[in-house]
Amino acid sequence: MNDDRHLTEEERQAFADDAPPVERRVELEAHLAACADCFDDVARLRSVTMRFRKAPNDPAPVEELWPSIRARIEQEKIVALGSAPVATRQWLRARHLVALGALAAGAMLTVVLLRPSHRIVIDSTVAVSDTTALRLVADSVKSYEDESRILLNRLELQRAMMRPEAAASIDRDLKVIDQAIDELQLAIQNDPRNPALRHLLASSYRQKVELLKRASNAS
Amino acid sequence: MIADARPIDEIVRRAQQGDVDAFEMIYRRTAPAIYRLCRRMLGDERDARDRMQDTFVRAWERLTSYRGQSSLDTWLHRVAVNVVLEHLRATKRDASRLIDVDDDSFGSRPSDSPADASMDLDAALARLPNGARTVFVLYVEGYSHDEIAQMTGIAAGTARAQLWRARRALAKVLDHE
Repeated sequence: MNDDRHLTEEERQAFADDAPPVERRVELEAHLAACADCFDDVARLRSVTMRFRKAPNDPAPVEELWPSIRARIEQEKIVALGSAPVATRQWLRARHLVALGALAAGAMLTVVLLRPSHRIVIDSTVAVSDTTALRLVADSVKSYEDESRILLNRLELQRAMMRPEAAASIDRDLKVIDQAIDELQLAIQNDPRNPALRHLLASSYRQKVELLKRASNAS
Repeated sequence: MIADARPIDEIVRRAQQGDVDAFEMIYRRTAPAIYRLCRRMLGDERDARDRMQDTFVRAWERLTSYRGQSSLDTWLHRVAVNVVLEHLRATKRDASRLIDVDDDSFGSRPSDSPADASMDLDAALARLPNGARTVFVLYVEGYSHDEIAQMTGIAAGTARAQLWRARRALAKVLDHE
C-alpha cells in the first residue's frame, strides 16, 4: 500500500492476476474489503482480461483462405517428390511402412493359418454374436476396394507425369500389398467366419488406399 | 463444405497420412480461433490472414509430429503463436525490442481519440505497441508470465510489467465505451 494507504498499482494488478504477494495477502484483502476505490479498480482490471477472454470470435475468412492454403500444401507435395531430400525421406519411409505393413499382414496370416484350431479360435458364442462385426468388416473391405479402384484409375491417368523410378517403386509396393490381399482372400474362402482374417484383409486394403492416395497426391 | 461428423482423432490420423480433405476438416474446425489469435497479436487484418495461412501450412508440414499429448487445438494454437512471433522478429518488431517502458504513446494514445468511445475490443488492442499487445494477448490466451517470457525472449518481470501497462491502458479505453 502507498502513503495514502491505498493499494499500489502493482498490488492492484497482482490481485487482478489472482496472484497477490502471499506474505501480505491477508492485509491487502482486508484493505480491499474496506476500500471501495481499490476494490472497484481491481474489478475493473479483472474485467478487461475477462472481456477479451469471453469475446466471441470475429468472422474469420475461413472459406476465402482455404484455396490458397490448399494450393500451398499441394505445391509443397510436388516440390517434395521432385527434389526436397527431407520429403523424399518421408516418402521413402512411408513406402517402407507400407511394405512392412504388407509383410506383417502376411506374417499374421501365416500365424492365423498355422494355428492348429484356427477354425475354432473364436468360440461359437462369440462367433455368432460377431455376425454384425463380420458384416462391418466386410463393408469396410468393400469400401476400400471401391476407393482403391478409383484411385488406381486416377493413378493411371497421372502416370505420365510421374518420374519412372517413382512409378516403378509404387508398382513394387502395390504388388506386395496385392499379394497379401490375394493370400488373405484365399484364406477367407476356406474360413469365411474368421474375423482375424477379415480384419487383416481390411487392413491390407486400407494400406493400399493410403499408398495410392500418397502416390496420387505426390504426382 | 465437407461434413466432419467423425471423431477428431480419426480425422487427424487421416490427415497425418496425407489426406488433405481430412486436413481441411481440421482447418474448418480451428480456423476461427487461430484467426482471432493472429488478428489480436498482429493488430492488422492483412497480416493476420497471411500468418493464418502460414500457420496451417506449417501445421500440415509438422502434423506427423503431433502425438496427441495435448489437444489438437492447443497444439495448433502453439504453432500459430510461433508463426506470429517469428514474423514479428523477422520484421524487426519483436516483443523485446518493442517493449519500451518509455514509449510515450503507451497508455495515452488509445484514450486520446474521439473515436475511442465506439472502439471495439480488437481495435483497442490494435492501438497498443506491438510488444505490449503480444504479451497481453498471450496472457489472455492462458499463458503464464514465465511462458510468455520464454516465448518472447524477455524477462518474466518485464512481461508482467508490460501486461499491467497494457491492461491499464485498455481499461482506460474501455471505460469510455
